[in-house]
Amino acid sequence: MPPSLGGPGFSAAWGAIMNKKRENSLIFWLFLAPVLFAFLMVEIIPFLMGAWYSFTNWTSSARIDGGIRFVGLDNYIGSFKDPAFGYSFGITLVYTVMNMVFINFVAFALALLVTSKLKLRNIYRVGFFVPNLIGGLILGYIWQFVFNNAVPALGKIVPFLSPLSASENLILGNNTAALMALVAVGTWQYAGYVMMIYIAAIENVPVELHEAAMIDGATPFARLRKITIPMAAQAFTITMFLTLVNSFKQFDVNVSLTSGGPSTMYQGKPILGTELLALNIYNTAFLSNNLAAGQARAVVFFFVLAIVAIVQVSVNKKKEIEL
Amino acid sequence: MKKTLCVLIAAAIAVTVSLSGCAKGKADAGADGKLVKGGKITLAQGKPEIDAALKKYAAAWGEKNGTTVTIKSIGGTSGGLGPALKADFAAGDMPDLFGFGGVEDFKEWEALALDLTAEPWVSKTAVAFKYNGKVFGFPVAVEGWGMAYNADMLAKAGIDPKTLVNLGAYKAAFAKLDSMKAELGINSVVSMAAAVEMGWVTAHHNFNSLLANGLPYGDLSVVNDLLAGKVDDARLNDYAEWVGLLFNYADKSVLTTGNYDSQVGAFATGKAVFLHQGNWTDPNIQGANATFKMAFAPHGSMAKDTDGIFVAAPSFYAVNKDSKNLAAAKKFLADLVATPEGHAYMVTDAGMIPAYSNVTLQPTGQLSQSVQAWSAAGKVYSWSQYYFTGDFRDKTLTPLYNQFATGAINQAKFVELMKQALIANKK
Repeated sequence: MPPSLGGPGFSAAWGAIMNKKRENSLIFWLFLAPVLFAFLMVEIIPFLMGAWYSFTNWTSSARIDGGIRFVGLDNYIGSFKDPAFGYSFGITLVYTVMNMVFINFVAFALALLVTSKLKLRNIYRVGFFVPNLIGGLILGYIWQFVFNNAVPALGKIVPFLSPLSASENLILGNNTAALMALVAVGTWQYAGYVMMIYIAAIENVPVELHEAAMIDGATPFARLRKITIPMAAQAFTITMFLTLVNSFKQFDVNVSLTSGGPSTMYQGKPILGTELLALNIYNTAFLSNNLAAGQARAVVFFFVLAIVAIVQVSVNKKKEIEL
Repeated sequence: MKKTLCVLIAAAIAVTVSLSGCAKGKADAGADGKLVKGGKITLAQGKPEIDAALKKYAAAWGEKNGTTVTIKSIGGTSGGLGPALKADFAAGDMPDLFGFGGVEDFKEWEALALDLTAEPWVSKTAVAFKYNGKVFGFPVAVEGWGMAYNADMLAKAGIDPKTLVNLGAYKAAFAKLDSMKAELGINSVVSMAAAVEMGWVTAHHNFNSLLANGLPYGDLSVVNDLLAGKVDDARLNDYAEWVGLLFNYADKSVLTTGNYDSQVGAFATGKAVFLHQGNWTDPNIQGANATFKMAFAPHGSMAKDTDGIFVAAPSFYAVNKDSKNLAAAKKFLADLVATPEGHAYMVTDAGMIPAYSNVTLQPTGQLSQSVQAWSAAGKVYSWSQYYFTGDFRDKTLTPLYNQFATGAINQAKFVELMKQALIANKK
């Protein structure tokens, strides 16, 4: 006889299911606990503490008038009044857009190259990826040497490059050129990494599609546009996100390559010309000895980056479906 | 799921508040004035160039005194040690001994610095860091800067370095040397750096010419006027001319994009007659195998004679009064001055000019010896740049000097912007 609804047999079975469920959820949370704990301790709590500090006069030092005092929005208002902060925002946006375009273009081109029937393509893959393994600080110093010494030396040897050897044409001595130098180094460092993602995507495109298209007489360019790129659309979402976030957060190469220099005039005040946002936050906190204001800028930075990144991903996701 | 998230966030906020609340409740240090065997002290200092010598000395001292001494050297540019100390402080792991660089820096740690007035080394130095009449800082070394010159080249050009004491003399000397470039084999007369990463040369050291050149040692009249927004136009104009002169006769590549190595390197390899740096370049110049004779000449930032170079003890060690091992920390400092091992470390190994009268050893570097000669003659001017905040020097003045160096602004505009910046800095 089957157990009737509400009978003792049913409630026993129901109980067993519930027990199972409870056990499952216990295991679920137990397995999640270490990660949650770590995430809480190193992400959520520091973030909230930081957000709290941005409303205070926190200095993290032992001043005689010590003690944390709540100062409301002073740090935020002061930051927005500082022309250097506004300027940093502007050039960070310019830098990010340029970096995204250059890195993705170069990375995709390299990926196409090393997935073609090129001889020694595996060696090329490694070669393009290696710059990514060098730390940003060291990389910055290496390129500083290249721009300050190697390029002018080249200008002295090669006749038609002679303008490069003139001291007024030094790449890191000019504001726009220095920003371009940052983009060039950023691309050199990061394109190989992004290339790897593109390689995976391109190699996942089914060969049949290309074969069918070739039988139909499609040109290589048409195949690239109509087959490879649409099929790799998911990769674009990821690479765009990675390049966006990484460019926005650029710090180490900025410090070692230009230290924010050369200077420029902005709103009638001389300020640092290539000081990206992350460096501006660091300098505010530690050079200007104003940790709380730096913290306020970091909070603004977080929200702007979060919004921009979310918009980018949702736009790309939409594109993915369209393609 | 949502509920769990709410609970998590609530918990996070609770923990945050309690953590930030308890940051102040530090454990009271059980310092009873006795040196405890097996104790530990940490010294955080900002001169990476003496790291190896200091570690060697600290290890030997620690073995003798049954104390483990940890040396943390964080340095490089101006921001070096400060951020590291702030991180240690926030983590409740403040070193027992820590370096600082002047009054603005000291104010950050005022509540933590132990009064060292009664220490035995105080009577042996004239340059201990004093604040409100009490000694708070152990001077690490005496340092000095001026215009380091290549004596051989000056002799070749027939210029007597003793005459280089004012703006006019420098103008004539620079012009003469510039006309002899090929003969002397130089690229430029002066090796000067004004890139943003070299802001400490322009906005710290060179800026001090405006503040202290030609004034009695310790005279803060100009500093106080400038801090109050009162600018002496004649003094500023002379000074701007001096800056312009240095920039004009400098190698443009080194000036606008060079780093420390390229600046010092140009002088050490005989590509420039003058170097705008201090005696800390001795090891670097020796390392480049420079064999010529060199010494310091005064800055020529004024039309009137200023016969002296800038000499001071710019960095100090403070003792953390919450240290668990106060006795060892104090003894570590005292022994540096009182023992022959301490002297050998300071002078022979670390190559520093001792700040203590009972040290008889002599540094071997030519520029260090020159600093000693100037001090012995009593021809010294103060280092007063530390009365201005890091914010003002690094974020306002550094780009200002850089603009002048790259030629983006001229001398008149430089004066105007300097004046504007100094007035805006008024508190």
